[in-house]
Amino acid sequence: MFGAFVIAAKDLRQRFRDRSALILGFVAPVAVAALMSFAFSGVESFHANIALVDNDRGQIASALRGTLTGPELSDVLTIREASDDAAARRMVDDGDAGAGLIIPAGFSAAAVGDRPIGLRVLGDPDEPLQAQVARAVADAYVAQLNADRLAVHTALAAGVPESRGAELAAAVAKLQSPESVQAQPTGYRQLRTASYYAPAMGIMFVLFAIGFTARSYFAEQRTGTLERIGAAPLTRGVVLLGKSLAAFVYSVVSLSTLAIVSSLAFGAEWGPPAPAFALILAMSAVLVALTALVVATARTERQAEGLATIVTFVLLLLGGNFVLLSQAPETLRRLALLTPNGWALRGFTDLATGAGATSAIVPVLVMLGMAVVLGAIAAIVGRGRLT
Amino acid sequence: MAESTDSVLAVSQLGKRFGDRVAVDDVSFEVAPGETYGLLGPNGAGKTTTIRLVCGLLRADAGEVRVAGTPVGATSTAAKRSIGYVPQEIALYPDLTARENLRFFGRLYGLRGTALNRRVGEVLELIGLSDRATDRVESFSGGMKRRLNIGAGLLHEPKLLVLDEPTVGVDPQSRHAVMESVRSFGASGMAVLYTTHYMEEAERLCDRVGIIDHGRLVAEGTRRELVAELGERDRITLAAAGDLGVLAKRLRGLAGVDRADVKDGEVQLLAADGRRLLPGVLEAAERSGLSLRSVEVDEPDLEAVFLHLTGTALRE
Repeated sequence: MFGAFVIAAKDLRQRFRDRSALILGFVAPVAVAALMSFAFSGVESFHANIALVDNDRGQIASALRGTLTGPELSDVLTIREASDDAAARRMVDDGDAGAGLIIPAGFSAAAVGDRPIGLRVLGDPDEPLQAQVARAVADAYVAQLNADRLAVHTALAAGVPESRGAELAAAVAKLQSPESVQAQPTGYRQLRTASYYAPAMGIMFVLFAIGFTARSYFAEQRTGTLERIGAAPLTRGVVLLGKSLAAFVYSVVSLSTLAIVSSLAFGAEWGPPAPAFALILAMSAVLVALTALVVATARTERQAEGLATIVTFVLLLLGGNFVLLSQAPETLRRLALLTPNGWALRGFTDLATGAGATSAIVPVLVMLGMAVVLGAIAAIVGRGRLT
Repeated sequence: MAESTDSVLAVSQLGKRFGDRVAVDDVSFEVAPGETYGLLGPNGAGKTTTIRLVCGLLRADAGEVRVAGTPVGATSTAAKRSIGYVPQEIALYPDLTARENLRFFGRLYGLRGTALNRRVGEVLELIGLSDRATDRVESFSGGMKRRLNIGAGLLHEPKLLVLDEPTVGVDPQSRHAVMESVRSFGASGMAVLYTTHYMEEAERLCDRVGIIDHGRLVAEGTRRELVAELGERDRITLAAAGDLGVLAKRLRGLAGVDRADVKDGEVQLLAADGRRLLPGVLEAAERSGLSLRSVEVDEPDLEAVFLHLTGTALRE
């Protein structure tokens, strides 16, 4: 058994001395995760800058401005006043605003008249989402206005004197819809981009280590060091255990380092330490089994490299390491559950959104099951390879 | 073949097949303590397979290998403790230092702490690399790597040192150093199993030689025994000023001389052991009053034995 630790210590010493392995295992995951997090940081929270032109200055236009600048929408909208239509257009064109909303002259008066005047939206082709938000706000307000108009007309039809029309319209404008959809707290936090891409990139780079480890095995075979180890008084199991242990420790240290650095540097949430570490251990166990399978299947260093590349990219594409699985099509979400990295990401995502420590149990068990099955296949396929 | 009680290595009726190809066929030999045994044969003759079977790197299909009385097998570890294996390749880690390499291989053989440090120091001293102990192997010359490659097999002070063609691709100076090292191992009481396809190495280093061809051990013994089996004789050629006929007549009277003739202005003498006879030949020349100009001793070599036994030259 001591021989396994000797072999693992030697392998790790070599790996940590190898700059490319250090970059692959530690520098690259942190850098790429940071890059992805910054690049996609807008996905998790949306904010629209809208240029507003009030050509009406009437009571209802004023109410609309109040709604748009009110505290309810302050997290989503920033309203910038523009002096006229041309100024609003310039703001949109210059990128100072993502969209423009123009309240035409006579808008308030038309609200109580027979021919309503619509709000105009200025869009920027580069910011379609902001234009959509502006349009949605306009539509919603116009819908509310139409409801108000209907209420006023109904009141007038019911015998309220027309002299009180303006008073009625102002009163209705102050009303809010009695029914509205309110987001209720579910106990889950919103998933931050960094919380997804940090483990996703970490897993991606430890999967790259499959090729690295498999190649080093064949390199040892080529140079005769593996045979020399085989001539030592060790059982084959001890030799394989030592090799596996090194790959396992490398993966655990790599993912753990990324967890700590990404948490401190760019606020990635990995959830409670114990279940997160259990996920890291389980993912590392699968990595060892996958490496063993590649080594057992390949016959040459070149074959091992090719096979490892295929395995890695198939797993990465299916497992959702490149896309936020929560925003991916249903098919991809299902396919991700065929992969260990898909399960790992599911576990990390659940932990990051506050689903609780127990949410990691199933992913951990599934990954360990995969490790056992893959390891058994590797053992059968590679029987007798060491000697 | 009966195993002698004091042999370090006893190989008995060893056999190994790879598919339809017979790699080792009914091979038996023994190596005693302090003896250097050479397995001589061309590439592909079965030397390396035999060595791998001896070291427990392959599972034998037939026969048995015992090292220090303990059977060797691919799954057993006890006998492997008595074996030091030096593969043909430079089986070292270039990105580790000489000391780190030796410490790693020493640990694999169960050396720890002070004992490990002591042995690593001793081996570095032995192979002349103490001053390069902390340098990475990748910075070493070919000869230094070869020496370290051998040193890694000596750490646990094995009873049997197995060297698989340790001089392949080595420059003459390093080759000489390797051969001197091997000679010293035998002198220290270690049993050495040495494979080579260089006849000269086998002749210089090995107390006994086993000639292997197509997986079979076709002959074994000392060089002299093998040559004697062949019926060849040593040839001594003397060039001298004076009556060569008198000298030839005197030489014919020496014990061990089969034949002595004057031919082409020289005296040519055939004997079973030319080297042993040489002092008597020189004395006879002096007594004959001749002034010797040159003396040449030609001994039939293992190349001739190999050619005779296998019908092919060793390097074919």
